[in-house]
Amino acid sequence: MRVEYINPFVEAAFNILKEVLGTELTRGELYLKSSSQPVLGVTAIIGLTGDVEGRVLFDMTEETALAIASAMNGEQMTKLDDLTKATITELANMITAQAVTKLSELGFKFDITPPAIFTGKKMEVSDVSVEALIVPIEMPLGKLEINVAVREKN
Amino acid sequence: MKTKTDFPSINEREPDGIKEDGTPYRVLIVDDSMFVKKQITQILNSEGFEIADTASDGEEGVEKYKELYPNIDLVTMDITMPKMDGITALEKILEFDKNAKVIMISALGKQDLVKKALLLGAKNYIVKPLDRKKVLERVLMVLKK
Repeated sequence: MRVEYINPFVEAAFNILKEVLGTELTRGELYLKSSSQPVLGVTAIIGLTGDVEGRVLFDMTEETALAIASAMNGEQMTKLDDLTKATITELANMITAQAVTKLSELGFKFDITPPAIFTGKKMEVSDVSVEALIVPIEMPLGKLEINVAVREKN
Repeated sequence: MKTKTDFPSINEREPDGIKEDGTPYRVLIVDDSMFVKKQITQILNSEGFEIADTASDGEEGVEKYKELYPNIDLVTMDITMPKMDGITALEKILEFDKNAKVIMISALGKQDLVKKALLLGAKNYIVKPLDRKKVLERVLMVLKK
């Protein structure tokens, strides 16, 4: 996978998270996973389709999801209810939309699918025949991992 | 204990959501995201607007507009929604009421669709993430025109 695909996601995540959470962020070391890997517990997924195809995961623990949703709603969220899930989904949507805009400016044309959210313990994700790049983003509210797996369409 | 009248009136400004006749502007929110619906509701309520109703897809949005008409001042319309998208719903609402005031709510990256909506007759648009200032500014621009 080409690294240039991931930078717009990192940039978009920084912009959006700063804007909606008003918080400090630091970027962790980027790493590559080509086999199965565990996910943290609350994972929003958005599919990419067009010149490149693949998917983006926004992965976090339940505690982090609740902290982010609380900050975005301006009230304390204590469980993973519909509003919390809608909030995390919307965050994933905004970040992906901004990244796709940047990528289309770079000449890559593709669209995004409506987001879905998975919650549960002991989940793992396997990408067959496409490797994933992961960028951890550290915030006072917790860690968010952006996990991008795309390939060019043949 | 002091009564209200003892306080100097430093806050005499009418909330922006109130019309000259003293009644609130009535808004229909069409959006499939519960989060966005809540966000717009909170922002508009804080300025005295009344949320007449909400809808979760374009089809429901058109139906609710027809039910509320003529007692409705403004619609906020998401673009990407299940069943019927916001552009089609905009068209249907304008077919029914050519003076309808519809503001599109869009994620970044949908410029072509926003342009299409404006050409079709949407009065303005707001790009997410939403914030209080951005939403109130655009809403008032449309209502006060």
